[in-house]
Amino acid sequence: MSKRKMFLKMITASLLRRRSRMLIALLSIAVGATILAGLVTIYYDVPRQMSAQFRNYGANMILLADSGETLTQTAADAALKAIPEDALFGATPYRYIRLDMVSRQLSFTTAGTDFTQVQKTSPYFHVNGRYPENEREILVGKEIADSLGLRLGRVIELTYKPTVAEQNAGVPSDDWVPGAALSGSAEGWQKEPVYVSVSLDGEGLISSISIDASLQTPEFGGRAGTDEAYLRQFIGKKLPLEDGDVDALTGATITSGAVVNALNSARKATRTAESKRSFNVVGILETGGEEEGYLFLSLSDMESLTGENDKLDVVEMSVQAANSDELQSYADSMTQADERLTARLVKRVTRSETTVLSKLQALVFLVTAVVLVLTMISVSTTMMAVVTERRREIGLRKALGASDNSIRAEFLGEGLFLGGLGGILGAILGFVFAQVVSVNVFGSSITFQPLLLPVTVLVSMVIAAVSCLLPIRRAVSIDPALVLKGE
Amino acid sequence: MSLLEIKNVSKIYGELKALDNVSIHVDQGEWVAIMGPSGSGKSTMMNIIGCMDKPTSGQVLLDGVDISKESSKALTEIRRDKIGLIFQQFHMVNYLTAVENVMVSQYYHSLPDEEEALEALGRVGLRERARHLPSQLSGGEQQRVCVARALINHPELILADEPTGNLDEANENIVLDLFRQLHREGTTLIVVTHDPEVAEAAQRTIVLEHGRVAREIINENFVD
Repeated sequence: MSKRKMFLKMITASLLRRRSRMLIALLSIAVGATILAGLVTIYYDVPRQMSAQFRNYGANMILLADSGETLTQTAADAALKAIPEDALFGATPYRYIRLDMVSRQLSFTTAGTDFTQVQKTSPYFHVNGRYPENEREILVGKEIADSLGLRLGRVIELTYKPTVAEQNAGVPSDDWVPGAALSGSAEGWQKEPVYVSVSLDGEGLISSISIDASLQTPEFGGRAGTDEAYLRQFIGKKLPLEDGDVDALTGATITSGAVVNALNSARKATRTAESKRSFNVVGILETGGEEEGYLFLSLSDMESLTGENDKLDVVEMSVQAANSDELQSYADSMTQADERLTARLVKRVTRSETTVLSKLQALVFLVTAVVLVLTMISVSTTMMAVVTERRREIGLRKALGASDNSIRAEFLGEGLFLGGLGGILGAILGFVFAQVVSVNVFGSSITFQPLLLPVTVLVSMVIAAVSCLLPIRRAVSIDPALVLKGE
Repeated sequence: MSLLEIKNVSKIYGELKALDNVSIHVDQGEWVAIMGPSGSGKSTMMNIIGCMDKPTSGQVLLDGVDISKESSKALTEIRRDKIGLIFQQFHMVNYLTAVENVMVSQYYHSLPDEEEALEALGRVGLRERARHLPSQLSGGEQQRVCVARALINHPELILADEPTGNLDEANENIVLDLFRQLHREGTTLIVVTHDPEVAEAAQRTIVLEHGRVAREIINENFVD
C-alpha cells in the first residue's frame, strides 16, 4: 500500500468513523458554502433580474436626430441593427404634433406611435379600455379625459393646422403670382397662431381673405376673423403689405400684426393647410406622469392628418444590458451607425438601475463575507474541540514517529476533505436556495452556472484550511510523552 | 556490547531532582526491568530512553549515538527508527482497525505493508481479528495489537511502560510470553513496571528510588 493511500485511508476513516464532531464541522462548511453559492448565484443573476424589473419603468434609451436632421423610420430601423436582436425588447417611434380641438378652443400635444411597441417599451402604461387597433381610434390621457369629461366610446374631432415653419418649409418665395391661393400663419397673442388664407386676382391683388384667430382672446384678437370692417381693408391690396396699408383692430395690435406677418409669409399651400378627422376614444391612459396630458394616435392616422410621410421625433427603446456601460456601448454603436442620429441613455432609469444594483451587490457581498467568517469561526472551534478530543491519539502518532509535518498534513487533509465535501453539498444546496429566492422574489428561475461548483468547492476548501490553522498549531504542540503517563 | 548507555544523567524540574546522576547500561539483546515506586524517576527515565525528553545533564548513548543533545525533530526520527513503544493504556487509534493501527506505525516509519502487518498480527495470535476496531477487541487483544505495532518496524529496542498494568493474569501471561519470544529472537527489551512478577520475568531489574539507582537485581531464575 502506498503512503498516499494510507494517508487517505486514515483521513476518511477519521471522518467517517468518528461522525458526530465532523458532522458539525461538515454542516458548518456546507451551510457557509450554501450561502456562498446561493448569494453568488443571485449576485450574478441579479443584474439580469433587475434589468427585467427595470424594463417595467420604461425605455432606457432614446434615438434622436441631430439638429437640422430628420429622423425617419427607415433610418431608425437601420440604426437599431446595431443592437443585438435578443437585447432589444422594443423600439417605439413617436411623432409629436399639436392638434386642435376647435369646438373647445383647446390644443393638445398628440403623439403618433406604434401601439404594439408602446406596450413593450412602456409596460407601466395602464389603459382603461384598450389600445387603438383600427383606423380613427384614439387613446386619451387621463388628465385630458377628466378635464373634457371624455368617456370610452365618445368621438372627438381634431384639427391639424400646420405652423408657419411647417407651411413654409421648402416652398419657393415667388408664389405671389396672380390667381394664386395662398395661406400662412404667424404667432399672435401669447404665441398662439393666427391662420390666414387669401386668393389673388388676375393682377395679383387680394380678392378674398379668411382669418382664423380662434386661438386669440375672443373679445380682442379673436374678432380678427369676423370683424367685416377689418377684413374689408385687405381687399385690393398687394402683397407684401406695408405699414399703413391696413389699420389694426382696436385693442388687438399683436393679433393684427400677426395677420400681416401671416399674409406676408403666405405661400401656396403645399399641403392641406388645415385638416380635420374625428376619432373614437377607445382607451384612457393612466401613467401617473406627463403622458396623461397627451393624446395618442397611430402613426398612420397621424400621417393622414398632417400629410407628413415617414417623419419621427424620437424612438424610445428598451434594451437589456448587464450595466450602464454596456448600454452606453450600444448607444455609441447606434450613434456611429448613422452620424445624423444620436442615441442617448435615459439617465433616470439607467442610473437608478445602476444604483440599486450596486447597493444590492454590496449587500450580497457583505452578507457572504460575514457568513464565511462565521463559518470559519464555527469550523475552527469545532476543529479545536476535535484536537482536544484527540490529544492522546495525536500524542500516540507522535510517539510512533509522526513528524510535525505529518500531523499538519493529516489535519489539513481532514480540513480540506471536509471543505471539499461541504463545498459540493453547499454548491448544490446553494443553487436550490438561489432558485427558491429567485422564484419568490423575482418570479423567474435561474440557470445553473457550471463554474459555481469548482469555485464554491475551492472557496470552502480554503475556508476549511484557514480554519484549521490554529487547531493544527495546537495539535503540533502536543507532547508525545503524555501517552506514557498512564493517563 | 551495550545498546543503551546512560552516563551520569540528571533531570531537574525546578527544585525537584527527578533523576540524580543516574548511570545505567543495557546490552544488546538484554531484557531489563526498571522498577520503583511512584516519584522514583521511572517515568522520567522512560521519557529520556524513549527520546521524548532530554536530560538536564549527562549523556545518553543509544546505539552509539548521543541523544541527549539532539533536537526534538531528530529525536522523533531516532524514536521512529530504533524504538518500539508499548503503553499501559494500549493507545490504539480508535477509528482504525487492528491491522490499520499496525500500519500507522509503518506509515510513519517507511511504507505501509498490509501483508507484513497481518503477519505481525499473526505472531501475536490476532490474524483473525485484524479487521476489528479497538472497541471490538478485549484489553488483552488490544495490548497484543500494540506489541505487534511495536515490533513491526524491527526496532533495536522495545520500550514498554507498565505493559500489563491494565491486564488480567491470563493476558499478562500472554504478553510476557510474547516478550520471551522477542527476547529469544534477540530483541532488546526495557520494561518499566511496579509489578514484581513482571520484573522477575526479566534478566535484570534496576530499582529506582528518589531519582537514583537503589539497586540492581540479577534474576537467577531467568529461563532463556
